[in-house]
Amino acid sequence: MRKIVAVLVSVAALVGMASAQTFVWPQKWTVAKPTEVKWGGTIREAVISDYRTFNPFITAEAGNVPSLLAGPIGLVRRDPTTGDWIPYMAESWTISPNKLEITFKIRRGMKWSDGKPITADDWIMTWRIHTDKAVGSNSYDSFFLDGKPITLRKIDDYTIRFIYPKTDAEAFSVASFTPWPAHIFGPVYQKEGAEGIKKMWTLNEKPENIVSGGPWLIESYRPGERLVLKRNPAFGEWNKDEAGNPLPYLDRREIRIVKDTNAQLAEFLAGNIDVMAPSTVDHISQIRQAIQQGRLDATIKVNASPVASSQFMVFNWNKASDPFKQSLFRSDKFRRAMSHIVNRQAVIDIVYGGLGTPMYSSVYPVLTQWVNPKVPKYEYNLQEAAKLLAELGFTRKDREGFLVDARGRRLEFNLSTNAGNAQREQIAKLIVDEAKKVGVKVNFTAIDFNTLVGQLLSSGPDRPFDAIIIGLTGGGLDWPFGSNVVPCKGNLHMWNKSGQCLDPRETQLDALYSRGRSELDFKKRVEIGYRMQEIEAQLLPVIYIAGPNYHPAWNNRLGGEHPDAIISSIWGQRQLELTFIKK
Amino acid sequence: MTAYILRRILYLVPTFFGATFLAFLIIQLAPGDYLTQLELDPKVTPETIARLRSQFGLDRPVHEQYLLWMHNLLHLNLGYSFAYQAPVLDIVLPRVVNSMVIVVPSTLFLFLVAIPVGIYGALRQYSLGDRVISFLAYIGLAIPNFFLALIFMYLILQVYFRTGVMVFPVSGMTSSGFEQFDPWKKILDIAWHAVIPIIVVTTSDIAGFSRVMRGQMLEVLSQDYIRTARAKGLAERVVVYKHALRNAVIPFVANIGGILPGLISGAGLVEVVMAWPGITPLLLDSLQQQDLYMVAGFLTIGLILLMVGNLLSDLLLTWVDPRIRYE
Repeated sequence: MRKIVAVLVSVAALVGMASAQTFVWPQKWTVAKPTEVKWGGTIREAVISDYRTFNPFITAEAGNVPSLLAGPIGLVRRDPTTGDWIPYMAESWTISPNKLEITFKIRRGMKWSDGKPITADDWIMTWRIHTDKAVGSNSYDSFFLDGKPITLRKIDDYTIRFIYPKTDAEAFSVASFTPWPAHIFGPVYQKEGAEGIKKMWTLNEKPENIVSGGPWLIESYRPGERLVLKRNPAFGEWNKDEAGNPLPYLDRREIRIVKDTNAQLAEFLAGNIDVMAPSTVDHISQIRQAIQQGRLDATIKVNASPVASSQFMVFNWNKASDPFKQSLFRSDKFRRAMSHIVNRQAVIDIVYGGLGTPMYSSVYPVLTQWVNPKVPKYEYNLQEAAKLLAELGFTRKDREGFLVDARGRRLEFNLSTNAGNAQREQIAKLIVDEAKKVGVKVNFTAIDFNTLVGQLLSSGPDRPFDAIIIGLTGGGLDWPFGSNVVPCKGNLHMWNKSGQCLDPRETQLDALYSRGRSELDFKKRVEIGYRMQEIEAQLLPVIYIAGPNYHPAWNNRLGGEHPDAIISSIWGQRQLELTFIKK
Repeated sequence: MTAYILRRILYLVPTFFGATFLAFLIIQLAPGDYLTQLELDPKVTPETIARLRSQFGLDRPVHEQYLLWMHNLLHLNLGYSFAYQAPVLDIVLPRVVNSMVIVVPSTLFLFLVAIPVGIYGALRQYSLGDRVISFLAYIGLAIPNFFLALIFMYLILQVYFRTGVMVFPVSGMTSSGFEQFDPWKKILDIAWHAVIPIIVVTTSDIAGFSRVMRGQMLEVLSQDYIRTARAKGLAERVVVYKHALRNAVIPFVANIGGILPGLISGAGLVEVVMAWPGITPLLLDSLQQQDLYMVAGFLTIGLILLMVGNLLSDLLLTWVDPRIRYE
């Protein structure tokens, strides 16, 4: 009897070991019910730029092959309905009392596409290689906090500990990095070091040698033309829908490289690609027309959300060679006046064809949880601008109609942006026109992008520009302020690169940035963010203008898109794993 | 003759070094480098960028970078691409082959069509046929290739909307599911995709080429020796094709040197517009990103082919043009 029980127990244990602990994809992430989904089929997509490598450690561009293969895999991931971090490849975690250590229990039964189990070693090895300087990984900086390393420790095969040098709001974001197979990369790394890693998984590597832990595997790749991915069955063993079906539903993803957006549009209109995010009014109206005239069975969500990027005008505070301009650019009254001459509605109407969102703060409008609604907005108002400039002593106009101060110095500055960016050039021209109306002479030139960046990032007491229009992307849901932008010593602290805070409000922002970054309580962090936006509004270090909106479109042969409430430039139109072909 | 060829080859050596150094210098003269884009990424620290710069050797003086590159080149290594982190040749070669699918047939068509059309225009100057051809040629010259490609794409879509038939593909080089096709179907599929790009590239070239051919022919036909030949009672066919044509094509033979690098340099913006995975989109990307060794490596291949091509055309000239002798 005892023997039987023992056998039963060990059988049960074995069964428990063999069947993977599954992650169930919540129903609320898609509009489709598990009963209506279908299996198989191919989704056809198009991208602008070609792929450069299959190697996860040297890849640099957005939407690269390794990130396509990996999909969402990481110890934790975000729930798009709430934005919260939820356990994913980890089944649970514990945070140490001093909040400097997070210990993750790794889900058992997950496997790489070659059948080897996914364990703590994979995270450790991946982290080691990313943080090897000689490899040159783009993720290198994300494993450091103020120059101090974040370290990983293996407790056992299924337990891993992250140790942070200080408390960090983005701790989970760091922990969400994608693991790669230690049994593939480890031996090469041990034998040949960084050089060996760099030579692995180039575009010439045979697809069957590329191992993935995510939803997809490479089926084939034709340079400059098409990448075909196929389903990774190992992923479906631990990723299921609520009915217990393995994910993804699709058999294949075909991603064509189409450099020209007109060609992309033509392919979408012809029904040859399934998803698109048109960015111009012309493209949107062509898609709408095709749908209305019944030539294309598709859906388009116009103005689903703003995009997560910014466009702004920045004045140079370091102009030792021109004290008049320097004191002008350092005056918040002047900058406020300049904010009042920016006609954001005209920018939206003319530059974005009416499909854009005005911006008044460094927090992207799409990050709704973070936007402080009470922050003052210095909107388009020429009288107010004139009044502020008069307070600065610019009351008279010269013969050409431009403002001069008591000493006869004309209110004039140079404005530049990168040539070839038609939207920024249009914005600049609008600013020139509006400035003229109040008597400010703005000399606009479009210059080469790299020259512009060189000017913008130059440092010291005398920098070679007056004002620049440029934009940034990046900045996340955990803490939307840039680690390079806000601190006075930051490389992208573009208005003042003297290396120290010049305005007491800069010092305040710098301190609040560090406090917010190390605050773990989301609510308190948002409060700090609100406070920062208030100070930013007073200081107005850069003048935010407006950004375009996100307009996702898809062919109606696809099912399983996000509910309307989630569709945005942050979460996209769908989870590909929950997408299926209806017909 | 042999001495001449040897001398020509010897001359190529300084030309080669001079040209590659110039190319290298000009690329370097452009402000910024491959890592400038990265500097606007709020997540990347300046220390990281400086480290990458020294890893790529971008912090060294230009002549040092050139010498290092030349050293590699003499070991038949065109250098590594920053963006792809792979040898330039591995990346460029498949693209060149793709481009040739368009460029080789269209060069053949060009000669097959433009020369007869030019001759016809010269022989029947100001006839109705000549006027029609001239008119078409001017249109062909006036419409840029990329725009013509867009017009074709529009027309294909309109036909598709009205009839539901895709006469030609809108863009790309292969159909989806290409990998599973059998060899014959693969060839047919690529040919089907190549028709529109070939037409687009050829039409504009024919326009220019046939005009020049016509002008050359007219000039030669008005020469004294043609009149003499006619006066001697030679058949018109002999006058035109044996005497006139042979002299009229001399400028084209002199230009054959340009065809060879032309074969690998791709079909231009048509490739970008029609999503043809040729050399142009790749090179444009590399230029934009200042992927130094990619651009320099490709220029070097083009340079070598140009030098070989020029040598060939000089040799051909001795055969065509009786006035030239290398003794």
